[in-house]
Amino acid sequence: MKFLHTSDWQMGMKAESVGLMAERVRDERLQAARRVVQVAKEQGVEFILLTGDVFEDNAVDRLLVRKVGEIIRTFQGPVYIIPGNHDLLSPGSVWEHSVWQEATNITVFRKSESFELEQCILFPCPLQEKYSTKNPVAWISAKGVTKTAIGLAHGNVEGIPSGEPDYPIPRDAAARYGLDYLALGHWHSFARYDDAEGQCRMAYSGTHETTKFGERDSGNAVIVEIVQRGSPPKLTPVKTGRLDWRTIERTIDQPNSLEALLEELASITQPDGVLVRAFLQGVLFPEDRKALVRLEELLASRFLFGVLESSCLIPAPDGEGWIESLASGSFREAAIKLRSQAAHAVNSDERAVATQALLQLFELHERSRA
Amino acid sequence: MILHSLRVAHWRSLLNPVELGPFSERLNVIHAPNGTGKSSMFEAMRRALFDAHHVSGDEIESVRPWGRSLAPQVNVEFTEAGVRYRIEKTFLDGASARLLRFEQGSFQPLADSRNADTKLREIIAASDAPGRGLSKPEHWGLAEVLWAPQGSLKLESLSSSVTENLRAALGVQLSGEAGNRLEELLEDRYQTYFTKGGKPRTGKQAAPILALESERERVLDERRQRLEHQQRFEETGRAVEDARQKRSQARLEATALRETVIQSRQQAEAFVRLQGELIQRREAEQISRERFEAIGQSLELIASAREDIEKSDARIKNGKLLVSDLASELKEGVNAASEARQKRDDTRRQRSTLDDRAAEVEDARAYVDDSKTHQTLAARIGKLRQLESDLNVSKANRVALVAPDDEAIRDVRKSVTAREKALAALKASLIHLTVEPKKKTTVHRQSTDESQVVAAGKSATFSGTPEVRIEIEGFGIIQASGPEGDSEAHDEALKKAEAKLSKLTQPYGTQDPDRLQLLREKADEIERKIEHLEEQISELLGDDCNDGLNQQLAELDARIQERLGRFPAWKETPPNVGDLKSTLEKHRKTVEAAIETAEDAFDKAQSTVQGLEKRHSEAEAGLKNARFNLEAAQMRLKELTKDGQSDEMRAQTRQECLMSWEAAKAKAKDCETKLTSIPGDPQKDLQKLERQLKALEEAEAGARDDEKQAEGRLQTLATEGAYSKWAACEEKLADLDARIRSERLRMEATKLLYDTVTSCKAAIVAAVAAPVERTATHMIGRIVGSRLGTVRFKENFVPLGVHPGAVNEPVDVTNLSGGEQEQLFLITRLALGQVLAKDERQLVVLDDVLNATDTGRHARVLTLLEECADQMQIVILTCHPERYRALERAQFFELRSHPA
Repeated sequence: MKFLHTSDWQMGMKAESVGLMAERVRDERLQAARRVVQVAKEQGVEFILLTGDVFEDNAVDRLLVRKVGEIIRTFQGPVYIIPGNHDLLSPGSVWEHSVWQEATNITVFRKSESFELEQCILFPCPLQEKYSTKNPVAWISAKGVTKTAIGLAHGNVEGIPSGEPDYPIPRDAAARYGLDYLALGHWHSFARYDDAEGQCRMAYSGTHETTKFGERDSGNAVIVEIVQRGSPPKLTPVKTGRLDWRTIERTIDQPNSLEALLEELASITQPDGVLVRAFLQGVLFPEDRKALVRLEELLASRFLFGVLESSCLIPAPDGEGWIESLASGSFREAAIKLRSQAAHAVNSDERAVATQALLQLFELHERSRA
Repeated sequence: MILHSLRVAHWRSLLNPVELGPFSERLNVIHAPNGTGKSSMFEAMRRALFDAHHVSGDEIESVRPWGRSLAPQVNVEFTEAGVRYRIEKTFLDGASARLLRFEQGSFQPLADSRNADTKLREIIAASDAPGRGLSKPEHWGLAEVLWAPQGSLKLESLSSSVTENLRAALGVQLSGEAGNRLEELLEDRYQTYFTKGGKPRTGKQAAPILALESERERVLDERRQRLEHQQRFEETGRAVEDARQKRSQARLEATALRETVIQSRQQAEAFVRLQGELIQRREAEQISRERFEAIGQSLELIASAREDIEKSDARIKNGKLLVSDLASELKEGVNAASEARQKRDDTRRQRSTLDDRAAEVEDARAYVDDSKTHQTLAARIGKLRQLESDLNVSKANRVALVAPDDEAIRDVRKSVTAREKALAALKASLIHLTVEPKKKTTVHRQSTDESQVVAAGKSATFSGTPEVRIEIEGFGIIQASGPEGDSEAHDEALKKAEAKLSKLTQPYGTQDPDRLQLLREKADEIERKIEHLEEQISELLGDDCNDGLNQQLAELDARIQERLGRFPAWKETPPNVGDLKSTLEKHRKTVEAAIETAEDAFDKAQSTVQGLEKRHSEAEAGLKNARFNLEAAQMRLKELTKDGQSDEMRAQTRQECLMSWEAAKAKAKDCETKLTSIPGDPQKDLQKLERQLKALEEAEAGARDDEKQAEGRLQTLATEGAYSKWAACEEKLADLDARIRSERLRMEATKLLYDTVTSCKAAIVAAVAAPVERTATHMIGRIVGSRLGTVRFKENFVPLGVHPGAVNEPVDVTNLSGGEQEQLFLITRLALGQVLAKDERQLVVLDDVLNATDTGRHARVLTLLEECADQMQIVILTCHPERYRALERAQFFELRSHPA
């Protein structure tokens, strides 16, 4: 038996960290969903399990619900869905949309009760509340069944640091409740939970497309193969995401260091799928002023999204280049003063303002000489 | 620059060439009366040094001498940077310029025409004048500070080149070589965001951040609305859940209650049935009891009727006997009462004699009173008639006497006086000729043609005017004439006075005022008498009138005569009222005693008759009543016994009714026992339960409606996609926040840069201006003392004001007196001149200054000028040379008058 496990599509999610590119990022999630279906078709899976949070919220645009429904529908084979804590089963939820009734291959589980298929029995655990301290899989009793038992759940596997217990799922849930595989949703990174023998009977597939900066092992779907009841499942992650969310952090301590970073960014292929967040700290040398401007321009123009955070840069305190180019007089005195203020600022805001003031002085100085 | 000589020709009032010099390198005073051309000399010098020779226009045209076609000419000799030059310029017609340099003992040409203008400006560091017009002070270079034209001692601003020169002279650089351009760029950048006052720009040229913040506010508002929609969506979802829960709960409760209602309904039906049975039992019991009680009552009524018949028979018999006895007694009583009435009436008749006697007593009393009143009234009327008679006599006397009043007498006296005065005046205006012949003679008056015989020894006087002419027989004519006067007027006045007097006295028969006064007094006496009589009459009459008194007297007389008609004896002997009253009272007591006795006897007899009549009547009524009762009892008995049953039969029936009553009572009690075994009121309980069930069913229906409505609302809200819209707002907001942060950083950096540059500049300027301020403070202190404190300069070396030690804030220059302002601007120029003189002596020109400075301070200013002359060449132009005579080492030049 072979099926595809995916979850946490978070359709319609808010992407405030990428500003005006948010809509593009949302569109990419739909594209990624199409790729998931494509993978399922290519892999010849018998069905797809979607374990919660297909949507970011129950109040997302109904047209989006229709689009997602239509994408899933293209799979033609059965698709089994449980509502998660973001798209929980409640009055007015996305699951009341007509697309789910129209698509005959889609089953949205609305009750925690077993669902028998020809080759296996499904134990779905749909969520009806946003938060709960209840173990969503506690009701499952599959030890006595003869067919392959597969659970669908959405929650936090115990041991994941997440503050207050929220839909806690035991680390040995699959073994404890007699399941051959427990398909999990909620966490966006792919994660396996191997038992003592090294066999994996429960796993988070992770989101099919990375949702934000710093999210590891995301952008996958998992192909699960189970030979028969009791045999260990074989899990194969397949890349479905396209966006590359990169965070670059550099400490500048030598003049002309920014040139290397510029080259690195210029060498990135397919930049229209890359989102870059660059953090610079250390010392700003007078020689690097133009490179800094170029870096800013490159980030803003070449990539799907790019942002430079340089407020931690301090003008080189002993860099006389900041001073020498200015004739003696009030401007030179001002430059000395601003450089000192940046170096001795009590907080990052003051430092950033002083550094920016110094940069502006040199920008104007160059214009005055032009 | 040091000035050596100046030659000017054809310049305003200076028609002929005027040459001044050689000047001292220290102090020079050029003096002349007003209008001589002092200021024109230095105007010409400024034009020669700073203006191109080919300038045109009204301004240069105006320097040409009035009404002449002469070309203004100026030659100036001066030394600059140790080199001596001469500039020769002609303006307007045949304009030319020639610059010469002193070389090897003589002046050699250096440049001419436009080259001369340019070269000269280079030498003296002046700038080009704009266009074709004349130069302004800002083009004069250092002369802008050091030369004070007439009326322009005040320094309001200095050109940037002069300021830079001053700074350069002070050895400090403010902005560097490209500083001005950089300053402009920084100023432009700063003004993109801020006003000159440092506030963020608003309006059309608002700082970009304001538009972003405004947009952010709008998006925030939109986000709030989206969030509210989102919350409403969630709340509505919960409302749907609540409604479903409520409906489910109501349905469960209704189902459970329906079972209870069925059981309760069965119990209620049994209860109703027993209640009906009990009512039937109670009705049967009631019927038996009523029948039992009715038979018993009938038996009692039959016995009672029989007893009443017996009693009525006995009463009728006794009543008949009593009525007969009382009729006999009544007849006897009536006879006795009739006799007593007769006796009483007889006695009452004696009372009429008492009335007659009482009337006589009353007449006697009235007769006596009327007689006394008649006597008094007759005497009063007699006295009244006497007084009226006297009054009539006095009034007749007064009418007969004609006398003037006091005013008439005063008028008469005035007329007499007027007449006497007129007479005296007339006499005085006439000529009086008196003739006293020794023998009788005839005197003929010719003017009147009258003749008069005058006896011997007698005198005759002839009066006239304006002359008296008489002819004395045998003697001749004597004519006397005298002073002329207005005798006719006096005569006329006399006649008028006499006429008025005659008119006034005509009624009284005399013109003598004393006699008229006597007449007046007599009339007054008669009037007083009349008044006295009238008072007496009025007092005697009182409130009465004459006719009323006469009528009263007549009435009294009539009454007296009427009583004398009835009692003639009173005419002789008037009645004694007291005796008559005493006799009457004795008779009255006797008669009243007899009447009282007779009335008591009658009342007693009458009372006896009334008692008998009452008893007789009562006896008859009792007899009648007894007969009526008998008939009624007989009727009742007949009615009660009409069923034809015997008393025993009735008693038997009654016993049977009693038994039926007891049986019904026992059955009713049995029903009651059964009802008591059922708790409460099952019907009421059933009603309550049914109401509860109905309420639950309604609640379920209501919950269903609520659910439907909430579902409808939820559907609508879901369609809105509130989360997606809210998320879009959040993203827009995040983008705006980032842009605002960036813009704010840029703004704050610009402000910091601007403020830092400004503060650095201020610090440098402060350092630069310090020596100038110190020099100026020292100078002003020497002139006015320490009162003004230190002098403060602006960045461009223009005086800002002074800072007295006693106050915290500097005092603006405009708040100083006119004299102190003048002194402050003078020492400013001198102080700046000293700064500039460090490298080379400079020329200071003061044209007609210190006009508002008092004598004391003026002397101190002269001392200061003498000291400054060690470093500078000073040229003073004045029309008051005496004010500068104290300058011991000064060279004085008098400008002679050469009128155009």
